[in-house]
Amino acid sequence: MANSATLTTDSKQTWGGGKSPFSVSYGKLMMWIFLLSDAFTFSSLLVAYGFVRFTFTGSLPNTVVKPFAHLSHNFVEEMQKAGLFVTERWPSPELVFNHFPFLHGIHLPLMFVSLMTFILIFSSVTMVLAVEAGHRMAKKEVENYMILTIIGGAAFLGCQAWEWTNFITEGASLSSNPFGPTAFAALFFIVTGFHGTHVLSGVILNIVIYLNVVNGTYEKRGHYEMVEKVGLYWHFVDLVWVFVFTFFYLI
Amino acid sequence: MDHIEHLEHTESPANMKSQIWRTFWVLLALTLVDIVLYFVLLSSHSIAKNILFVFLGIVKAFYIVSVFMHMKFERKFLVWIIIAPMIFVCFLIWLALTEAGYTFGMRLF
Repeated sequence: MANSATLTTDSKQTWGGGKSPFSVSYGKLMMWIFLLSDAFTFSSLLVAYGFVRFTFTGSLPNTVVKPFAHLSHNFVEEMQKAGLFVTERWPSPELVFNHFPFLHGIHLPLMFVSLMTFILIFSSVTMVLAVEAGHRMAKKEVENYMILTIIGGAAFLGCQAWEWTNFITEGASLSSNPFGPTAFAALFFIVTGFHGTHVLSGVILNIVIYLNVVNGTYEKRGHYEMVEKVGLYWHFVDLVWVFVFTFFYLI
Repeated sequence: MDHIEHLEHTESPANMKSQIWRTFWVLLALTLVDIVLYFVLLSSHSIAKNILFVFLGIVKAFYIVSVFMHMKFERKFLVWIIIAPMIFVCFLIWLALTEAGYTFGMRLF
């Protein structure tokens, strides 16, 4: 907190050197630039998804199963016979992602992925609370919030592993898809996989930061800015999930 | 306290904690709105529905970036450096979806 921003209207003073014209440290500015490039990468992947989806005939309205209805064990074959899962037609995400742990055989579209969304939003909140505690140099609080963030991230990864296992068990892969066009499964694995890799690296970074907090590294340094920088990355991962959730599951 | 570094940053407001929790409730509410709309509009497939969900996504993104990522309190210059290049993403979306329309036509005939 030693040197907070002093608002300068004089441009000579702003660009005269010796201080950041953006009033942020070098590391934080570079984190923003990295996140911008990462936003481009995710945008390209999501735009690719939009492109491929637009080249297929839209899904048929589902008149076969209602939410909370029981699913037969050969649900996928039935849908294929009903013409809802055919290679020429984009499948309705509602009929593909409809499972929930411990509630096997019940049609629950969107429920599991909503739970994943809540987990990620909540871990974002604990992260920003850790940053806030860092500003007050409250070491113990930063530790606690970091632990909660790490747990949230790990829980999200566990959920994603469960979702992938389900999808793979039903026969989906990068080169096959019983629900419809192969590109549907391929794009699902690539985009959620790339996002999941980000969550995994975020969790690892959070663990590193947590250990540094425990060891008192930032206490000695005089500020907890590393928590902020990793926090930026963590919120970005949450931000990307908002759009993955929208394009892959809601629409 | 032997290696205290010089650090430049923009200050957070005093009520940061309450802003964080308010943002959390907004995000939670928006997600619940998403879920409710999803079930209400389950059997309809329309462009308007897609635009509605994308709009809600952008609102959520706005809250995450402005409060959680602290962008609301940064210098305007930094904000524009990050936001302005997003125009290229808009261009890419327009380009890809237009082309997809032609590809769709080729698939059909």
